[in-house]
This record gives sequence, C-alpha cells and structure tokens, in this order.
Amino acid sequence: MLTTLLRPTEGRAWVAGYDVVEQPHQVRKRIGVVFQDVALDRELTGFENLWIYGMIQGVGERELREKVPKLLDFVGLSRWADTQVKRYSGGMMRRLEIAQIMVHSPEIIFLDEPTLGLDPQTRVHVWDYIKELRSEFGTTVFLTTHYMEEAEKLCDRVAIIDHGKIIAIGTPEELVSKLEGEVVYVRFEQSLEKVALKRVEELSYVLGVKVVEGNKVAVSVRRASEAIPEIINVCSKAGARVAEVTYHRPSLEDVFISLTGRGLRDEEWDWVSHMRLSRARRMR
Amino acid sequence: MGELGALYAMWYRQVKRFYRMRSRVAASIIQPIVWMAFFGIGMSSALGRAGFFASSGVSYMLFMVPGVVMMAVFFTSFMSGIAVIWDREFGFLKRVLVAPVSRASTLLGRVFGDATMATIQGMVVLAIAYLMTPLPSLNAACIAVVLVSFILAVALTSLGTAIACNMRSMEGFGLVNTLVSMPLLFLSSAFYPLSTMPLWMRNAASINPLTQAVELARALLLGSSDLPILYSAVTLLLWAVGLMGVAVWMFSRVTVEA
Repeated sequence: MLTTLLRPTEGRAWVAGYDVVEQPHQVRKRIGVVFQDVALDRELTGFENLWIYGMIQGVGERELREKVPKLLDFVGLSRWADTQVKRYSGGMMRRLEIAQIMVHSPEIIFLDEPTLGLDPQTRVHVWDYIKELRSEFGTTVFLTTHYMEEAEKLCDRVAIIDHGKIIAIGTPEELVSKLEGEVVYVRFEQSLEKVALKRVEELSYVLGVKVVEGNKVAVSVRRASEAIPEIINVCSKAGARVAEVTYHRPSLEDVFISLTGRGLRDEEWDWVSHMRLSRARRMR
Repeated sequence: MGELGALYAMWYRQVKRFYRMRSRVAASIIQPIVWMAFFGIGMSSALGRAGFFASSGVSYMLFMVPGVVMMAVFFTSFMSGIAVIWDREFGFLKRVLVAPVSRASTLLGRVFGDATMATIQGMVVLAIAYLMTPLPSLNAACIAVVLVSFILAVALTSLGTAIACNMRSMEGFGLVNTLVSMPLLFLSSAFYPLSTMPLWMRNAASINPLTQAVELARALLLGSSDLPILYSAVTLLLWAVGLMGVAVWMFSRVTVEA
C-alpha cells in the first residue's frame, strides 16, 4: 500500500509527505522498492536494467551516464555490467536491484525480505550494502523481514506486526527490555539442593524457579546480569555447589515469539503465497 | 523526459529483448519460408494451371508473397502480447507499475516496440520471399508496405496485450493464440483471393484486419487488390487505434500482488 501498488480499503497514508492515494506519482518519484521476488528483466544486461529503469523513472540521460556505472561499482557488479541478468546468481540479482532502485535517488527505499533464500555470506554482503546505503546516501530504509537477526542488526526502529496489527514498536533494545524477565539456568554439581533453591526463590527479584531436568533449574529473574552473582552467592551460603550457570541474552527473536506465540500458523498459510515462495526458490 | 521518456524506455526494452531471443527471431523467419516453400509450391502445382491463377496472370507464389509477409507480422505481433504475462511472472511488471508515469505510456511503448520488431521481421521475410520469387516491380510505393506492416502490427500487438492482461498462464495464452489467430488467418485473403470466396466469407474476411493489410500489400507490391485501397487503409487504421484503446484500458486495470 505504501508503495502505491495496492489501494487501501480505508484510512490514509503519507509517504515522504504525499498521500499514497491522491498523489501516487509524487510518492513513486521519491521511493524505490525491492520486492520479495526478483523483479529484473532477465534478458537484459545489468547495465541495461539500470538504464531503462532510470529512463522510466524520468532520470535524464546525462545523469544516467554518470550514475549507472557508479552504482554498479557500489554493488560490485561493474565486471558483470554487460552480462545478461539471467546468468547472475541470486545474490548478484539482489545487489543489482539495490543499485537499480537507487538510480533516481529515492528518499525512502522499501525492501521486502531482501535476504530471503540467500546463503549466509551473501546475506551478510547484502546487509553491508543496506548499511552503506544509509550512511552514504542518507536514504531512509524501510524493510520487512522474518529474520529477527536481520531486524536487530539493521534497524533503528522495529515494529512487530501480527495479524495485520502493530503489536510492538521501538528500538531493538527497547523491545528486548520489554520482555518480562530473563531466564538463568543453574546446574548443581550433585543432586538438587532444596534448601538453596528455597533461598533463591526468596530473593526479591526472582520471579520463579522451575526444575528443568535432573539437577538443572530454570530461574526467571528481572535482570540476569544482576541476579547471577546473587544466585551463586545464596547457593554457596546454603552449602550447595553450583556446577554451571548459563544465560543467553534475550534477542528480538524471543520478543517476537513471546508476543506472537509459538504455534504454527496454519491459517495464514494460503496457497497463493506458497506458490510465490516456491517460485522464488526455483528462480534462484 | 517524463511520459515520453518512459514510452521510449519501454520501446527500447522490447526491441532489446527481441534481439536477445534469437530462437524466436529464427523461428519466426523460418516459419514463413517453410510456408512459401512447401505450401506455396504444393498449392501452385495444384492450382497453377487452372481457375483463378491461370486467368489473372499472377502466379500463386507471387500472389502468396504479401500474404506470407503479413502472416509473419500478424503472428509475431499477436504473440508478443505474451510478454505481459512473462513480466508478471518475473516481477518486471511491478517495477513498471510503481514508476511515476502513466500506465498508458508504458503500455504504448511496449506496443510500439513489439510492433517495430514485428515490422522488421516482416521486411526480412519479404526480402527472402523476393529472393525466392522476384516481384515484378520494386518501386518507391513498396516503402509503404513498411507502414502497412507497422499498422497491422500495432493492431495485433494491442490485441495480444489486451488479452494477456487478463491472463495468468502462458499456456492459456498459447491456447487463445491458436484459437484466435488460426481462424483469422484462414478467414483472410492471405492464401486465396477474396474474389473466389463465397459471399458470406468474403464479407467476413473484409472486416478482418489481416485481409486489409494483405490487400494493401498486394496493391502496393503486385498492383492489384480485391478491396478498394481507401477502404483497406481506413479500416486497418481504425482497427489499430481501436485495439490500442482497448489495450490501454485493459492495462490500466491490471493488478499485481505485492
């Protein structure tokens, strides 16, 4: 909707100060969109793809002559500028698309799951380009993703959307700190030390204690970094010997899961998007 | 730039693309030659000494040349509508739809680009046909054949594109292609004269843009035509403009899932 491809059923939206329904051309001049599926002309070369897109976007020829090679260089595709896109790898196509949408110097770019289906190295590369886009061109980047890691690494602000509604929004740190409590795992050297556990439970910032397996317990606390020394302290005072304390820093992933629940979402698995996904895979 | 720039960009793209598809270029040039060589020789041996062609003084092979040329233009341009389905499949359509220009200019650029290529192809076929059966006179009027081909190509590209706008699958388009183009080909004067057809068929064929283009080409290349030149020219032009309008309208309603 924000990219003016779909008309909103109700409500209004503004992109770069223009109404998406009333002034779609003004919006389109100021945005660049990388779709989930590759949207390049495979029969044409990388250079031609950029050139033709630039012309459609209304960029003058002189400007294109200067910009196109620069952008190809930026994404490291100068060597393949005259190769037909159908011979590119998935990662190269993505990079070309990023260069392509920069041709008309948009104020905002939309990236729809830019790293879906890419191998880990290529993903890191694409991330680098996205970061550089921001620092070098000062472009606002709007991206959607299923990879929480990606959101955490790239975004200043993150909104979590569930069933079409924003259920949380803020910086990654804010969202993570919203998680009620963290979990510390304590493993005792021998058996479970009932007395020590009782002491731990009594600590003011401990929210609960659960036995996980054998001599391992999970302790929910408000802030793990402060709780860990205390827990060890209390245990040793009660005469229990702790073998191991583990804790993992909660990530956006945990936030996402805790907000949206864990169940598989069969109701959202519709046939059309499945088709699109499998096609996207086939193409790469 | 702006709208015209976009129109030019799309034209440029279609032309570039066409060059790249070598197999398509080869196939669409070889096909008419095969028609000339087999169908033409077969038919002229059967008909050569009898009936219409004996009295008219034009050999069947010669008679067929404008028909084959226009058939090549006709098939190539109608088939090029499939590019819309192709672009939808590969996402390029979305790219175009989010461009800050009207859909009409990108569509017309597309139509003119494909029509240009279909015309060039028709002229290649004409050149080859000329080598196989030299035409009686080649004069300046022959240049007008280029124009006739282009107008026919615009009409048929528009028709193909308009149909493709409403279709999702290439197989479906292939089916429609056969369903539409075969009757149009056989209900035209490409391979047999209008004047020997039964009246109902002659009337139906006269409405057919392919007939109009063939008759115009015949008038220009062979100096004879079964239809008044003015009638053919005006109706062919009307077809082109009308179908362009339909294509623009259909394309304005195209939606893509994001």
